[in-house]
Amino acid sequence: MAHQAHAYHMVDPSPWPLTGAVAALLMTSGLAIWMHFHTMTLMSLGLLLLLLTMYQWWRDIIREGTFQGHHTPPVQKGLRYGMILFITSEVFFFLGFFWAFYHSSLAPTPELGGCWPPTGITTLNPFEVPLLNTAVLLASGVTVTWAHHSIMEGQRKQAIQSLTLTILLGFYFTALQAMEYYEAPFTIADGVYGSTFFVATGFHGLHVIIGSTFLAVCLLRQAQYHFTSDHHFGFEAAAWYWHFVDVVWLFLYISIYWWGS
Amino acid sequence: MAAFGRFSQMLLRSSLTQTRRQLAAAAGHGGDSAKTWKILTFVIALPGVAVCMLNTFLKEKEHSHDAPPEFVPYTHLRIRTKRFPWGDGNKTLFHNSHVNALPDGYEGHDYTCLVWDGKDRRILFLILCP
Repeated sequence: MAHQAHAYHMVDPSPWPLTGAVAALLMTSGLAIWMHFHTMTLMSLGLLLLLLTMYQWWRDIIREGTFQGHHTPPVQKGLRYGMILFITSEVFFFLGFFWAFYHSSLAPTPELGGCWPPTGITTLNPFEVPLLNTAVLLASGVTVTWAHHSIMEGQRKQAIQSLTLTILLGFYFTALQAMEYYEAPFTIADGVYGSTFFVATGFHGLHVIIGSTFLAVCLLRQAQYHFTSDHHFGFEAAAWYWHFVDVVWLFLYISIYWWGS
Repeated sequence: MAAFGRFSQMLLRSSLTQTRRQLAAAAGHGGDSAKTWKILTFVIALPGVAVCMLNTFLKEKEHSHDAPPEFVPYTHLRIRTKRFPWGDGNKTLFHNSHVNALPDGYEGHDYTCLVWDGKDRRILFLILCP
């Protein structure tokens, strides 16, 4: 009889770490090829492999945790540490772009006109769409908290409603930002103002899309009875990530949109 | 005015966190906190979004008739050190010809350009640039 005498999860052999690494290689080299030789094949192949890897790896984790019972309390604790460490690494990622922004804007060079915003840049009004975006993300933080409490109290219908509302708010933010990007009177090629603005807000937008997708997966899982009132770490991880995305936006709004205008 | 809406939303959130803790303490294990957050959603969060939507809509209407900013061929803007890997290589990913000028001006506009001799500090000639 094969019983383990410990509460930890000795994971079965899996090909997904390897396919993930290969995907990373193809995407990065593919990006370089696209930039210099104008063909997207390698990069697209890498992207496809990445999507397949993510789908299958996370599907396997859900099977191990939800259906096979491998996610005991110590295992869950490890997953919590993992998510916290990952989010911390993302905080440092954004810190870099804020550093770039403050470096350029606190001491604007003569080439820019010695001022910030630089000469010739028409900034966005922080009290129009950016303010709406702030309200949308703050509201989504309230709705995701409603969802969490609903799950903890075993309120299935409310959990589904509040989670759906959160995701819709996330989509609304993305749509508003896409419209702002199209209507902006400045571009990424407009010196260091354009670079810092679009790289910082662009990576933030990508994280909103990732966060919305994570929440959407949680919605599908909630609908399929995966979560119990005591054990729903996948949802908690998604909610932590979503709050992180909200906080990054607040810093972006204060620094780039408001102070930087 | 709209900023007030956002500030009050943020202030209320922090004082409401205290209220939530009190409620949770009173109810033992916070047995009906979902209701609290549901109320917060429909009374504060979503109306806050609605107010900001109205504000945005009104402000957009106010200056939907504005012309795009005047084109000045600054060298620190519209940088093109390398072709973009799409299209003609000259337009950014979210290029909007109504509000984004290319390095030599807005598309479809004609400009009178003066050619300046920096060494002798004089205008050499005026030309029409499409």
